Amino acid sequence: MAVDRSLIGKVFEATAPMAVSAESIIEFCRTMEEHNPRYGKSGANGEIVAPPSFAVTFRNTDAFFRFTPQLGRGFDAGKEVEFFVPIRAGDEISLTSIVRDIYEKTGRTGTMTFVILRSTLTNQRGETVAHVDHRFVHRNPAAKENPAETE
Amino acid sequence: MTAASERQFAQVTIGEALGPFEITIGKPLVRRYAAACGMDSGRFRDDGEARAEGLPGMIVPGNLSLSLLSKLVTDWIGSGGGHLKRIGTTYRSMVLPEHRLTLHGFVTHVDSDSRAVEIDVWIENDDGERLVIGTASVEFPTTA
Amino acid sequence: MATIIDLHSHSEASDDSRAPVEAYLNWIKLRRAERPIDGIVLTEHRQFNRSGDYRELEDKYGVLVLRASEIETDYGHMLVFGVNDEILRRFDFTDVRLPAQIVIDGVAAMGGVVVPCHPGRPTVGLHEHYEHKPPLHNIVAVEMLNGGSRKGEDERSRELVARHGYRAIGGSDSHMVSLIGLCATSFSSQIGTIEDLVRELRSGDYQPVDFRPRRAVPRRAEPVPGQE
Repeated sequence: MAVDRSLIGKVFEATAPMAVSAESIIEFCRTMEEHNPRYGKSGANGEIVAPPSFAVTFRNTDAFFRFTPQLGRGFDAGKEVEFFVPIRAGDEISLTSIVRDIYEKTGRTGTMTFVILRSTLTNQRGETVAHVDHRFVHRNPAAKENPAETE
Repeated sequence: MTAASERQFAQVTIGEALGPFEITIGKPLVRRYAAACGMDSGRFRDDGEARAEGLPGMIVPGNLSLSLLSKLVTDWIGSGGGHLKRIGTTYRSMVLPEHRLTLHGFVTHVDSDSRAVEIDVWIENDDGERLVIGTASVEFPTTA
Repeated sequence: MATIIDLHSHSEASDDSRAPVEAYLNWIKLRRAERPIDGIVLTEHRQFNRSGDYRELEDKYGVLVLRASEIETDYGHMLVFGVNDEILRRFDFTDVRLPAQIVIDGVAAMGGVVVPCHPGRPTVGLHEHYEHKPPLHNIVAVEMLNGGSRKGEDERSRELVARHGYRAIGGSDSHMVSLIGLCATSFSSQIGTIEDLVRELRSGDYQPVDFRPRRAVPRRAEPVPGQE
């Protein structure tokens, strides 16, 4: 698989801001059986505050995948998330993503291409909510079974 | 792993354990999480669709592993002023539903000046294989 | 005097690790009773990392810090000890398809030593490559115990060692602070420099040591989301 490093630095601009409903946060909390009083319905000051990892549910990675059909869809190999401002019900989250790195390595399933895509989440007040570095792995076509293995 | 208490910075020591907590992620949870996150891939919904992609069956989305490890840390912090500043995860191997897993964590660094704490976290299977590994950074407010 | 060294570890200089060197050393100090490690070797992926001066930290924690590399070859991953400018001029460590035999012989001629790591691991381990390619020559040792091994991988490594009569080392392959020193190598001689290490690996007396805890039944059951 050819690694096209010229994509490094390419920016995928945000689509329309995504509205955060109270229901979506509450459903996420219910799914995770979140009992921490800081999150969900009983957030401070009557606000409905999302747990930190709710941030990873926002993504425009499809735009990147559409741009690189030769790589295929790939698998999630890991994430690095930095949290700045909590997400609250009523927020509108915008996303911008940039390709930070592309490199090859070999692992248990053969040669793999790794792509690091950084998404920056911004709320309607212009505050940076989080940086989410997605690490995608794309296997070469001859890879063995268990395609989601990353080592 | 309940969040009733408030973790105080002065309590935190290097080597302190988070867990271990034993879990089994059921297929209904995988489907519900994927739906809650708008992840519409068949690999998180149906064994047949997953097999069509060359997988052994439904797999647990990486985001769910990240959410479980985040919750391990935020439950440890509790309802006090400390907050999860960062979490990084590496998905080393597929996590499959309906298998017994264990969540692990250890405090590895405590910085008194910045009131910052570093934590190793991972998900292990019954063979002791670490399927997901990660680290988290927690910060405590100066007034806590 | 024996020296126990974890010969395989990754610090935050590797793309898939966030472990600071000082945190590794502090963890070793904290867990010395269960993992009596005298030193570690930083074997960063696909590079030789010269950055950082660890002399003060070595004194502070009483742990030796040496540097090496983990490279990727047509026979799997290998640790390179005794890396020098000549070796780096000759071989591009970022190349994930380095020719193993040429690297082994070239590094040896330039003063270093190459040790295949996790040989029992699929695709990137020597064991599998030997199933369809001729064995390599001039192998000094292989990493028989690897702290990141999955079920069956160390057993395959052990079988390879027995079949070919290789000498064996151990390393944690740690990418996280709390996993440092899980496997290591015990040398009968004292080691204080990378030159000592290369010399001992070539002709000294050593064996892998395993400090991994025996598997215990998890202590507490945690209610999991979706399992009422």
